[in-house]
Amino acid sequence: MIPALGPIGAKLAQGIGEGVGALLGNTAQPAPGGTSFASMIGEAATRTVDNLQQAEQLSAKALQGDGDMRAVVDAVMSAEQSLQAAVAIRDKIVTAYLEISRMAI
Amino acid sequence: MQVNLFDLATKQSQWLSVRQSAIAGNIANVNTPGFHALEVEPFDKVLDGTRVAIKATQVSHLSGDAGPEPVSIRERADGPAVLPSKNNVVLENELMDAGEVRRAFELNAGIVKAFNRMTMLVSKG
Amino acid sequence: MDALSTALKVAASGLTAQSERLRVVSENLANAQSTGPTPGSDPYQRKTISFAAELDHPNGPAFVEIAAVGRDDTAFPTEYQPGNEAANDAGYVKMPNVNVLIEMADMREANRSYQANLQVIKQARELISMTIDLMRNQS
Repeated sequence: MIPALGPIGAKLAQGIGEGVGALLGNTAQPAPGGTSFASMIGEAATRTVDNLQQAEQLSAKALQGDGDMRAVVDAVMSAEQSLQAAVAIRDKIVTAYLEISRMAI
Repeated sequence: MQVNLFDLATKQSQWLSVRQSAIAGNIANVNTPGFHALEVEPFDKVLDGTRVAIKATQVSHLSGDAGPEPVSIRERADGPAVLPSKNNVVLENELMDAGEVRRAFELNAGIVKAFNRMTMLVSKG
Repeated sequence: MDALSTALKVAASGLTAQSERLRVVSENLANAQSTGPTPGSDPYQRKTISFAAELDHPNGPAFVEIAAVGRDDTAFPTEYQPGNEAANDAGYVKMPNVNVLIEMADMREANRSYQANLQVIKQARELISMTIDLMRNQS
């Protein structure tokens, strides 16, 4: 695993899940016939980690000589996209947390 | 067992460079009588060689002598219809191999760039 | 020295060798009709060129060099040209032992090898710049 990317990706997903849960409160009820916002964001974070691992595996295979180029490119691109989204979510959550903590009680 | 992706990419890029120089030698000697085409050992052999080396030289690993594992070049075993001049370089095959090297190199560089971007994205504030 | 720079040097040696070969071919073609100055003297003698591979050590890069530029010793053909200043008593002139068709084929072959070496140089150069490009700041 890329030393920086793997653990950070996993921490990111975990952190985002917990952060969203803390912000929205665990009493968030799913709308009838839909999923809760928290679970949606949590799923996005999990998808990021999966995409990252998929991209790494395919890249390693391609570097060793047997890989489908198009599959590698697709995997790397979707990993980058979901990583970008996860980082944006993380930043927004941190900003929101800081705002809330500055609110007068 | 998972190895570091950047390490793997570096090794492949070095192997590809050696292969490129072998191809250059073959093309330069296409009209040299008695010349046998050279080729490099396959990449997975190079990878296996590295793992064995790491197991055997744990002590020297600490002293920091980390040079690139030399990729061995050997003569191509198969010769097509050998010319009277005993030269067995086929220009078309060499050019095709050169194309392969280029494609693999571009893929390698692309992968390295993409993962570098992602690492920087996560590491920035 | 890293392998890609070696590839450039090897291909450059190939270019030098092939252009030398082209020079010899063009000399032969230009002198395909050059007879001697005096009656019975020898005309232009065809030149030949041979290559050799230059390996420092068995696993090293395979440079190519000119082994020798020699002369072709095949017999001179004779033509009946009594008016020529090089004609002997019977009116026959010794013509150069240059076969134009062979020289043209050789020229085409030299061209092809030259182009292939150029391709190698182009590719090695691009691979080097791709590697250096990795360091470029990407946004």
